[in-house]
Amino acid sequence: MYEAVYAHPDGDSTAARYALTAADYGFDGVVVRAVDAAPDYDRLAGAYGVDVVDAVEVVADDPASASGAVGNFRPKHELVLVRGGTDRVNRFAVEQERVDVLTRPMDGEGDFNHVLARAAADNDVAVEFDFGPVLRSEGGRRVRALQNLRKLRELVDHYDAPFVVSATPSSHLELRAPRELKAVGETIGFDAADVAAGLGTWGDIAACNRERRSDSFVAPGVELSRDRGEQR
Amino acid sequence: MKHLPKHLRPRWRYLAVGIEAWPDAEISRGSFQRELWYAAQNLLGDPGSADASLSVLRFEFENGSGETVVRVRRGEVEPARAALACLDEVDGQPVGLRVRGVSGTVRAASERYLGRGAGVSDQRSVVFENTERTAFERDSALDVRRPSGFAGATELDLE
Repeated sequence: MYEAVYAHPDGDSTAARYALTAADYGFDGVVVRAVDAAPDYDRLAGAYGVDVVDAVEVVADDPASASGAVGNFRPKHELVLVRGGTDRVNRFAVEQERVDVLTRPMDGEGDFNHVLARAAADNDVAVEFDFGPVLRSEGGRRVRALQNLRKLRELVDHYDAPFVVSATPSSHLELRAPRELKAVGETIGFDAADVAAGLGTWGDIAACNRERRSDSFVAPGVELSRDRGEQR
Repeated sequence: MKHLPKHLRPRWRYLAVGIEAWPDAEISRGSFQRELWYAAQNLLGDPGSADASLSVLRFEFENGSGETVVRVRRGEVEPARAALACLDEVDGQPVGLRVRGVSGTVRAASERYLGRGAGVSDQRSVVFENTERTAFERDSALDVRRPSGFAGATELDLE
């Protein structure tokens, strides 16, 4: 199970500190959703016994600039995320096969509907369930966040779109262990198994992209054999 | 009033909880208990939080780290876990919480899961964000004091 975090300078804790805490909490890995952050991934690899995934979160106001950023970052990072929050960017993200995850689709003005859910399923773009507001806000804001999560869940369920789950922590103090997230999920109407699957999906997407990025990869199911570069 | 016969007394489970905060945080048992009740009430509602009947028994907190034992009615452990996860700050100070384990007695909970020691908190000066700053060290974790608040780091972040 993986957690996708905002690392320093996007958040208050460095990627290393997240890795240290996540290892203690029982996560298998941490996805660094970098906006400005640029940790030294070589140093982090294996340092605390958890996997650290090099991801980038594209924050853009309109599809045109998002498209440029996605094209630019795709070859450089293992995971490309697009932060939603407006209808146009949400729509752009789910219609792009190059995008791995649409994050925080219900933030701000953003909304989701059957058209987007179907597009997400067709293009294999995972939709994020953001547990952050459930864990860290209260009152009306939290009620709206819960309503949004429910709407999103019903759509994602119906169209069988891929999804990920995250507590969107911006410091290591905002991390919560997988069992806690499952318990929260169950209280707000999710299946504990679905929450676990959502946490695991981060790792699955990362593994898949790493394989694609490796030198021996030619096309799905075709790879160069290691010793002499002959085709198997 | 005469106390209940043994077979009619409620059964309890005890959650061993680890607490983490920034090094300047001051958290008392009373304020932790209050925030936990709020968190439970907000998430589970009045009936749910009455069912869970959460109470904080042992509580220790010093230098930004601590541990506590929370009592909950048997069969309500998962809702209690969810309520604990939603406890994000005490008196405006952010806290990280983790349920380390669940036991049937206070003694088993604290012997098996607690008492790892807060670790000695040491102060030293480090270079972070290209500036010299004071850091509080606990095991390999470093909390660096910045004008805008603390930053979480580790040994790996220092050159």
